[in-house]
Amino acid sequence: MKKRKTNIQWERLIYGGAAILLFLVIWQILVKPGSAKFATPLEVGEFILQHITTKVGPCTIWGHAGWSLSRVGVGYILAAAAGIVLALLMSQSKVCNIILHPLFDLLRPIPPIAWVPLAILWFGIFEKAKYFIIFIGAFVPFVMNTYTGAVRVDKKLIDAALMLGTPPRTIFFRVVFPAIVPQIFAGAQVALTNAWMTVIGAEMARATEGVGWMILKGMENADMAQIVSGMAVIGVTGFLIAALMRWLEKHLIKWNVRER
Amino acid sequence: MCEQIKVQVKNLTKSYGELLVLDNVSFEVKKGEFLCIVGPTGCGKTTFLNSLTKLHDIDSGEILLDSVPVNLKKQSIAYIFQENSVLSWRTVAENVALGLEFKKKELALTKNEIKKKVRDALSIVGLLKFENYYPNQLSASMLQRVVIARAFVIAPELLLMDEPYGQLDINLRFRLEDEVVKICKQFNTTVIFITHNLEEAVYVGDRILILTNKPSKIKEELENPLPRPRDVTSSEFIKLREYVTDQIRWW
Repeated sequence: MKKRKTNIQWERLIYGGAAILLFLVIWQILVKPGSAKFATPLEVGEFILQHITTKVGPCTIWGHAGWSLSRVGVGYILAAAAGIVLALLMSQSKVCNIILHPLFDLLRPIPPIAWVPLAILWFGIFEKAKYFIIFIGAFVPFVMNTYTGAVRVDKKLIDAALMLGTPPRTIFFRVVFPAIVPQIFAGAQVALTNAWMTVIGAEMARATEGVGWMILKGMENADMAQIVSGMAVIGVTGFLIAALMRWLEKHLIKWNVRER
Repeated sequence: MCEQIKVQVKNLTKSYGELLVLDNVSFEVKKGEFLCIVGPTGCGKTTFLNSLTKLHDIDSGEILLDSVPVNLKKQSIAYIFQENSVLSWRTVAENVALGLEFKKKELALTKNEIKKKVRDALSIVGLLKFENYYPNQLSASMLQRVVIARAFVIAPELLLMDEPYGQLDINLRFRLEDEVVKICKQFNTTVIFITHNLEEAVYVGDRILILTNKPSKIKEELENPLPRPRDVTSSEFIKLREYVTDQIRWW
């Protein structure tokens, strides 16, 4: 069984790697070196290697990725805390639900980027405004998933726990919350993608560093390699974050992970 | 069998909105008795069990356990639901231990004693080697066996079973029917068992209570005098099963 699992992992690695390699080869063939409209993978690779140690503007590529990640980190953690608490309040209290749900439904469709002008007006042009925009982007999926999970907890599980003597006041922590952890995790993954997309938007609107800034400056200087390198950093970082989330899910809620 | 009355249901009436489900139902269950309730689908069998355990409110009437109104905190009642009610984030052993966790003070149980009781219960349902598995690694029939073990481990004074074997294959069903009856008789547990399966009702029940279609009333209460272990191929068994079938033929 274990050997079969290892084989599947190798197959994934080989086929996935081959697909990426093929994509890069086709890309290299299709794009003319030095083009004003796109950069080749070799040009992008060269740009990234060069700027791992030398600066693009105020810092290296690591520095820009670090800035973006730190912004995502702050906005995301705040969104997780507020979103989960709000969703649980709405799901457990009828009064909270009646008051807060319509308000949430009204604000939910507004894209995070639409908040940029207000964020700048309220929080200035520095970090707080970016945290706020990222917060908005990540907040919605946290609320949605947690709320949906909490209101859909199988009543039979609660009944079974009550019948076995679980004190009613502890049902929330013993049954409801553990039951919705997988949904919170699913929301956390969507929220992370949203947060990562939002930080780029926020940095492109107003920033002096970060991956979004790198792309914007590349556009201003018509530097295709810089633009596509910024995009590549977004892609690779997003890929690594998604892998980290999958790893966390597998280890923290292993009871919910089926052999795939 | 002791003739002490364990459960008294007096003039129980329950409706959902304007739909009357249970209409003035009254009966008694003796201590240690295995009572089977049979009736057509949707006649209110599950509603009755939910009313008994206060999972549903009743419109009128009274349900007494040992001559006092049911109190889940003080009385030990186990309920095996028709649907899977295993907690997916707990291992098999942790699921079975759930009821004991809240009774360990009351019963003065140590961790090791809980572990032993859990292992004994798992051994009865044939799941001992799966004690550290999570529910998503088990089949539907194994999950139902976890629920049965979880119910028995608390040594309930009243056991409610709502079509517990519906998801099990026939071999396992036969085995568990025998096991459950054996344990109930051993510990003198009072059982109210709901089933659609008339053969099952005749096989396990000391008494069979036949409900009418909605709004449910009691059509007949039938003593089952067949000696145990029962032989489903014996002429007495077949005769009784056919009699029960005749009583419900008009459903």
